[in-house]
Amino acid sequence: MKNMKMKSSLVLALTLLLTVFLSACGNSSDSSADGKVTISFLHWRGEDTQAFQKIIDQFETKNPNIKVDMQTLTSDQYQSTAQAKLTDGSVGDVFASFPGAQYAALSKAGLYTDLTNESFLKNYNADLIDVGAKDGKQWAVPYQLVYNQPIYNTEIFKKYNLTPPTDWDGFLKLCATLKQNGIIPIAFAGADIGPGQFMNTMVMNNEPSEDIFTKVEAGQAKLTDEFWVKTLTQFKELNDNGYFQENSLGTKDAAAGALFIQGKAAMLASGSYQLAQNAKQNPELKQALLAPITVSADQAKYEGVHTSTFMLGVNSRSKHPTEAKKFLEFLSQPDVASQYANETGQNVTLKDIKYDSPELNIAGDWADKKTLFQPRFTILNSENQKAVTNSIQAVLGGAAPEQAAQDAQAIIDQQIK
Amino acid sequence: MNRKTLWFFMLPGLLLYTGLFIYPALSGLFYSFTNWDGVSTSYDFVGISNYKDSFDSIVFRKAFFNNVKFMLTVVIIQTIVSLILALILAKNTRTRVFLRALYFFPAILSSVSVGLIWSFIYDPSLGLLNTALTSGGLEQFTASWTGDANIALYAIAFVQIWAHAGQMMIVFIAGLHAIPEELMEAARIDGATRFQIFRKVTWPLLAPSATIVVSYTTIQSFKAFDLIFVMTDGGPNYATEILTTYIYHLAFSNYSFGLASAGSMIFLVLLGLLTMAQFKALRRGGANG
Repeated sequence: MKNMKMKSSLVLALTLLLTVFLSACGNSSDSSADGKVTISFLHWRGEDTQAFQKIIDQFETKNPNIKVDMQTLTSDQYQSTAQAKLTDGSVGDVFASFPGAQYAALSKAGLYTDLTNESFLKNYNADLIDVGAKDGKQWAVPYQLVYNQPIYNTEIFKKYNLTPPTDWDGFLKLCATLKQNGIIPIAFAGADIGPGQFMNTMVMNNEPSEDIFTKVEAGQAKLTDEFWVKTLTQFKELNDNGYFQENSLGTKDAAAGALFIQGKAAMLASGSYQLAQNAKQNPELKQALLAPITVSADQAKYEGVHTSTFMLGVNSRSKHPTEAKKFLEFLSQPDVASQYANETGQNVTLKDIKYDSPELNIAGDWADKKTLFQPRFTILNSENQKAVTNSIQAVLGGAAPEQAAQDAQAIIDQQIK
Repeated sequence: MNRKTLWFFMLPGLLLYTGLFIYPALSGLFYSFTNWDGVSTSYDFVGISNYKDSFDSIVFRKAFFNNVKFMLTVVIIQTIVSLILALILAKNTRTRVFLRALYFFPAILSSVSVGLIWSFIYDPSLGLLNTALTSGGLEQFTASWTGDANIALYAIAFVQIWAHAGQMMIVFIAGLHAIPEELMEAARIDGATRFQIFRKVTWPLLAPSATIVVSYTTIQSFKAFDLIFVMTDGGPNYATEILTTYIYHLAFSNYSFGLASAGSMIFLVLLGLLTMAQFKALRRGGANG
């Protein structure tokens, strides 16, 4: 009797444990008894959930048999855990991904469904969704558009009679004028996003090529080549002249932003994604975008740098690909994308978008300019990416540009096999 | 209690331990011999090349030396600071009990919160530390605390000590309370000075507590991840990169799970060796005490 009791308790305990384990591994993408299909939408933009939920509600009204379950992770978590979740197909029938290393890894794992023949692709600006294409096929559609170049305070520029310069000498002169007048020329978040953002516009005309870093990763070009040593030398020039705020290597994104928002700095080395946030914190602020031109005016090929990101795809392991595509098609309608843009303050990659805020129009004005896809995102190996941005930190910390380039190249050489 | 009942009570813990520790560790060992990217369903066996690449890696070596520097700084300073605090606050008066609670308080905060708070304090332009130094006429001592490659690791070590010295103080206080008062009294009657009492009576009897503090701090500081991840993410220019942040970046930013697994295995062995050394010291300390 005692044994019987013991056995039943053991079975009960095991059942409970299994229930706990299995319910944790539950599938959120499923069909219910009433014939409704539930699809999962996985992304990292927690700040956009309200805007997306409104869009989802509209979609569900138009498609009563489809329910969209939105799940968000922080961007750090997204980098680290999204691939595991997507691989087993349990979540993310429609999912977002970062361009560069994450897109390359997910693409290699065959997690994207071919979207080449989908009619909604015509709604996008073809040049801006290139980054989601591979081997002649469209695997993902980047939804957001960002210009990774400094933001400037137009009132400060006006006060000192300054205009965005067209060459390197002009840029140095502009910084000198600002400094002489007690204004920090560039607020630079050297501790985190600064090097990775500002390097893009600094390098775009020193080596006006779409694939220079692809060549570096393939061993066909080196960081010790003139283009990168020159870029590092120009970073050093800005730093040595005191054109970044003091101790810029210890400054994080939020603190650099505060210097700009408070009017202590005239330029903020970040990107257009920051415009709406700045305006929210200081509604009086008048902002625009510029890019440092690091060569003479006649040698400049690019005017700025753009990134198409938040790359939406349909999971190849989804049990409901038709419904997932339907949702992606809905997101790809210009009026829906306009709604998303205006509610979140993010520019989008679609055509015929009506932006209703000055910040969105600032970036919108850059659509017709000659911009280069963000060079940093063409570095697919994150160890290499870190070596490149760390070489900027090394120079700002006092290393010679040649030495910093050599040290970074040594790390890249180890990655090339 | 019979054997079956014992197994019954052990089973949930054993299952959890197997599922959450043993199985992942064995998987890690398996994947360390592959080139798995963490996403694909296929991978190739690459023998010991991940281990060779780890030992050859410039960044891995930098991370290892940073790890040792960080660990030594924290172990030495944290042990001394917590011992001094314990000696000052050992007696049970109302003020001292309040101060003990106050110094212990940072230990209950999550390390991510601690990291964020100190990031703001350390900010060179708007941070509390430089602002206080400047307003106190000590401008020459302001610095880029986490931006200067020469001091960033020590600035984070300071935060680690700030967060855990109070916790270790409690261990020392427990040790001090276990020392019989008669021994102190006998030493005082014999005319021993305060320093002599500490050296000849307190310290030898405090050895087991000291061993616990040193062992715990060694392992804790060697495994440090959250503070560094939040405050500098290994920067500037690898100055604060340690093995755990390096392994994390390899796995979750670079999708090199095979290589990251090899790094984890090396890290596991290093931790194992450290633990064994500590265990031996602990037994010796216990025996002596």
